[in-house]
Amino acid sequence: MKSKLKVGIYGLTGCAGCQLSIIFNEDELLDLLSLIDLRAFPFIKGHNLDEEFDLVFMEGLVASNNDLELLKKIRAKTKILVALGACAHTGCIPAYRHWTLKEDYEHLLYRKDEIIKDQEPTPIDAHVKVDFVIPGCPPDKQEILNFIKDILNGKTPRPYNNPVCIECKRNYNDCLLIKGKLCMGPITAGNCNAVCINGGFECWGCRGPSGDANYTAYINLLREKGFSDKFIKTRMKLFAGLKLKTEEAFDDKDKLDILTCTFC
Amino acid sequence: MTHTINLNHITKIEGHASLYVEIKDNKVMKCRLSSIEGSRYFEGLLKGKHYFEAHEISSRICGVCSCAHTVAAVTAMENALNIKTTKQTKELKKLLTLGERIRSHAAHLYFLALPDYLGYESALAMLPKYRKEVKSALRLMKLGNKLVKVVGGRDLHPVSLTVGGFLKIPTKDQLIELANDINELQPDAFATAKLFGSLDIPDIENDCEYFSLHDEKEFPILEGNLISAGSTFKQSEYLDYFKEYHEPYSTANFVVREDKSYLVGAISRINNNYNKLSKDAKRAITTSKIKFPSKNPFANNFAQAVELVHCLDHSIEICNELYPRQENPIQPKLKASRGLAAIEVPRGILFHDYTLDKKGIITKANIITPTAQNLKNMEDNIKKFIPSILHLKNEEKINLEIEKLIRSYDPCFSCSTHFLKVKWDK
Repeated sequence: MKSKLKVGIYGLTGCAGCQLSIIFNEDELLDLLSLIDLRAFPFIKGHNLDEEFDLVFMEGLVASNNDLELLKKIRAKTKILVALGACAHTGCIPAYRHWTLKEDYEHLLYRKDEIIKDQEPTPIDAHVKVDFVIPGCPPDKQEILNFIKDILNGKTPRPYNNPVCIECKRNYNDCLLIKGKLCMGPITAGNCNAVCINGGFECWGCRGPSGDANYTAYINLLREKGFSDKFIKTRMKLFAGLKLKTEEAFDDKDKLDILTCTFC
Repeated sequence: MTHTINLNHITKIEGHASLYVEIKDNKVMKCRLSSIEGSRYFEGLLKGKHYFEAHEISSRICGVCSCAHTVAAVTAMENALNIKTTKQTKELKKLLTLGERIRSHAAHLYFLALPDYLGYESALAMLPKYRKEVKSALRLMKLGNKLVKVVGGRDLHPVSLTVGGFLKIPTKDQLIELANDINELQPDAFATAKLFGSLDIPDIENDCEYFSLHDEKEFPILEGNLISAGSTFKQSEYLDYFKEYHEPYSTANFVVREDKSYLVGAISRINNNYNKLSKDAKRAITTSKIKFPSKNPFANNFAQAVELVHCLDHSIEICNELYPRQENPIQPKLKASRGLAAIEVPRGILFHDYTLDKKGIITKANIITPTAQNLKNMEDNIKKFIPSILHLKNEEKINLEIEKLIRSYDPCFSCSTHFLKVKWDK
């Protein structure tokens, strides 16, 4: 008999929401656990073995030297490393610090022990090779299950590149862009079943850019609708700023542009 | 003889933390509990954002209590902009908060706390012998998630609540279905309370102030004064009473009252609001030796289990009494203003405090989480507790007892800004 897939689930700096998205598969969790060898999951396990892994889900972004150390250590022992959720994938909201004026957050910097050193907030692929991404803030629970099923069945999971709008139309939602909301559905990768728009809320782009996003056309559309460049930029950078190549679409240079981050 | 306890990366808690203790001649000389999360500077990121963006951003502070941050941010903005929300909005906000409390308590009790008491490393390791209990936990978590999803549109980081009301309102049919689901799980909640009321806990007394909200109408969720056994004050006075400070060894804030640590959470809520508990919840308390008001920090687990019973009862009441109608969120008149909301969330009182300019842009944000308030008290109690367990001699056993104490607070270190790998130096 083939030995079970050795799995680890870890969190760097983050909110634990992505790890919860695995646990919150309440009906499937016990069956899933019987199919894998869950060697490490410090969030809910006291004994964690980290000798070697076939598959690791990594939540969170790199925001301290501790994060970087753990990430590198685990990467070296892991065959398939998965960036789980927006922080690991794009840096999510904490990475918006790249476009925040230092004077707005500097005073919040506490004196710290030697062991904790702040690091530029960055997604994990800025530091190590990432094999797959399960995007989203939070990631879709079903997508996580489908991913594990694919791996167990020897299939290669494929990224989903279509924009949110496709599923949104399928769900017969009213278009929030037409209703005057800054909805990022047209330029954002879907496979979330347009969950925010189903709930009445516009897409903020947490799953990162779709495969064929046309930023210039999209930004011009937003300008026509009367949104200011400042508002557009802020919104576009909040969840996936480090993954959107939007600079060429803006021609004015206000101070937010001057703070172009190191990874753009 | 001096020796140290050094617990790097404590497991089975939310977030990352470590503990350092120095002991000399059976006396604790130094004790420091630190969050070792990377800093995310949420209050800095909120500056310059619009009033209607704060809840979507601050929700990301914590996945476990994303509804809490959403509701607190929205309510603070409503208070700033003088929006009087409808009764329906208030009831739906409560349902969202109750759903989150149910799933959070169920997850903490069974997945993080219980394994310690039954002698397992995790709930997963308990499966062969305690499958029934683990399944009960999963059912309760599923119920909490369903409540959150129906009301909030998504089970983590809810989307349907906005400043002034809800963007999408559940139907009566959905509420009836929820009420039926809750009804089915009431025995699970009661069994949880019986189980946690029967666990052997160390007999220690934590002589501090136990703070919670106090609402004349019901067991506190969204409003009320701040009270403890000896004091009462208004929410707006919180900064006069609670002081935040930073310790150099932690990325989290510490909060004290009159230089003394205090405690928030389920145990404080029950200590201060016993009369407002549902009948079932009061009946659940009678099954245990633990009585309220309790000063034993280990009793917080039982308090959470009692709250589970209460939260199911309260949720069913809202589902039965609410006949939802379509209403749009109320649009505010913008003005320079300041708004505060203190609400009860799974781990205690959560404060969101925003200052807005005349265009509704955030110029200052102050967020104080329950774990930040409890950190100092945790430290104080670890200090007091350690001498009573040194006779155990075995390092593993001592560490386990310390971890049990820490976990009974249900700390959430993401919020305040993982747990215990113990290193002993002798």
